Amino acid sequence: MNGFDDANAGRDVGRYLGVTMREAEELHLVGHAAVAPHLRGPAGGVRTGALLTMLDNVGGLGGGLAALPDGWVVSTNLVARVVALSHAGPLRIDSGLLRRGRNNVVTGVQIRDEGARDAIVASGVLTSAILVPETGPPPWDRPLVSQARTEPPVELPSIPEWLGVRAVERDAVEIDLAAAFRNPWGILHGGVVAMLVDLAAEYATGGGATTDVVIHFLAPNRVGPVRARVRALGRRTDGSVLRVEVRDEGAGRTTALAIVTCALAR
Amino acid sequence: MTAVYPPEHHLLRDLRLSFDHDADGRRSRARMPIVGELCTDLGHARAGALATLVDVVGGGLAAGAAAPGWIATADLTLHLVGGARPGSVVEARAEVLRAGRTTVVIEVALADELDRGIGIATMSFAVLPRRDTNPEIDRVRDSPSTMSTQDSRLARPLLDELGVQVRDAERGVIDVAVVDWSRNSMGAMQGGIVAAVADVAAETALRAATTEPLVVTDLQVTYLGFGRVGPVRSAVEVLGTGVGHGSARVELVDAGAENRLMTVVHAAATRDLT
Repeated sequence: MNGFDDANAGRDVGRYLGVTMREAEELHLVGHAAVAPHLRGPAGGVRTGALLTMLDNVGGLGGGLAALPDGWVVSTNLVARVVALSHAGPLRIDSGLLRRGRNNVVTGVQIRDEGARDAIVASGVLTSAILVPETGPPPWDRPLVSQARTEPPVELPSIPEWLGVRAVERDAVEIDLAAAFRNPWGILHGGVVAMLVDLAAEYATGGGATTDVVIHFLAPNRVGPVRARVRALGRRTDGSVLRVEVRDEGAGRTTALAIVTCALAR
Repeated sequence: MTAVYPPEHHLLRDLRLSFDHDADGRRSRARMPIVGELCTDLGHARAGALATLVDVVGGGLAAGAAAPGWIATADLTLHLVGGARPGSVVEARAEVLRAGRTTVVIEVALADELDRGIGIATMSFAVLPRRDTNPEIDRVRDSPSTMSTQDSRLARPLLDELGVQVRDAERGVIDVAVVDWSRNSMGAMQGGIVAAVADVAAETALRAATTEPLVVTDLQVTYLGFGRVGPVRSAVEVLGTGVGHGSARVELVDAGAENRLMTVVHAAATRDLT
């Protein structure tokens, strides 16, 4: 058995990304994803928001396995640097355990481009809190194998279309909290928060590409719409530094804070 | 028994920090006068020095927010957008974003005395059961306050004070001893100084890779374990470089404790902080 009682619960984000995973050795997860057209952004490669979601996806599952049998995990903090904005693919996502504490798990995650001689694409660290679900942690067959989708691939909408992102002000974008964006716990998937942060940064900078991200997940998004508002802090050789605050407007609370460096469009 | 921290001759006194705190425990401010000893060869405050300021103000605020529990720093991030020159004073304005049962998250805005933005930082902490050896927070929450004495000051540049030894510039291998001057209240290398070691290691490797006078502007520090024995030893993987910037991944180990992995850091460097 793999995962949650309802095999489809919260799987839409993973299916959209098309990430497959296997446990190469204990607690070392290896994921693969194609550089699919629907994931590409203005820079030509996979959008940083999708890369972050891959980091969260593979790192989170690795963290969850490390938390067993005591509990399962939710992401609390994701940091990443993206150093390649165009990709040949396929992408390989390697997640390894850095630390397993009493209350949290830290995983290091790197993405490499197998079609570009294993060039580094992104490097990050995901921190997850260990929680004990009411029904206990999900069961997994080990070593773990997770296939993204079994049906034939179809043409998928681009990330902005899929999320239905809309500009609400000059410095803010938002999405509705659709069922497809929820994780197995029923709250907005952390990877979708990362995609929203990336799109907000791109929008506020007029087409910039996110190269550095820190996201603190402060509270769950349960109601929606979920809005990301950008404040520019300064500019440097490598781009603009932005503060992005994410709020669950329906719940009236801040749910995430991100600091983003955005390389500006030429 | 309650520990007295910091001791008489200590980094946190020599930085001449001063503090004040809001009564509700949600906000604190710390000020650090910028002196030449804290600066890079480009003439503005080193990211690692500012990370130390962030660590101290954020740690104090988080400890209060976690009371009666105690805290362990999980991560610290810093992004600089302006250079702080000698003679200026950087104020770190810390605010509690989340104070939960198991974690505390802090945001810190950095500005100079003209209210010019210098950068932004975040920290998160794991909440732990209090031990007898943890400092009493009430004692350090008197407001306004300072840990410095009349004689406190940096006698030498920060990197000399830390005794940084570069072993392999291209690979960013440096050694830094763990000494009483830079220990935290748990007896290990202070978290801001850990960030400073990573700062120097990344700068060293990125300068070797680019031949440009890059200085570190961003640090994403993930703390995994303490550096108690020393020397703390770095290794750097240069992730990428471009004209005027570069980024790197740094690992720090406690070489005296069977090379136990202490910290993973992602760093970015540029040449244009003004």
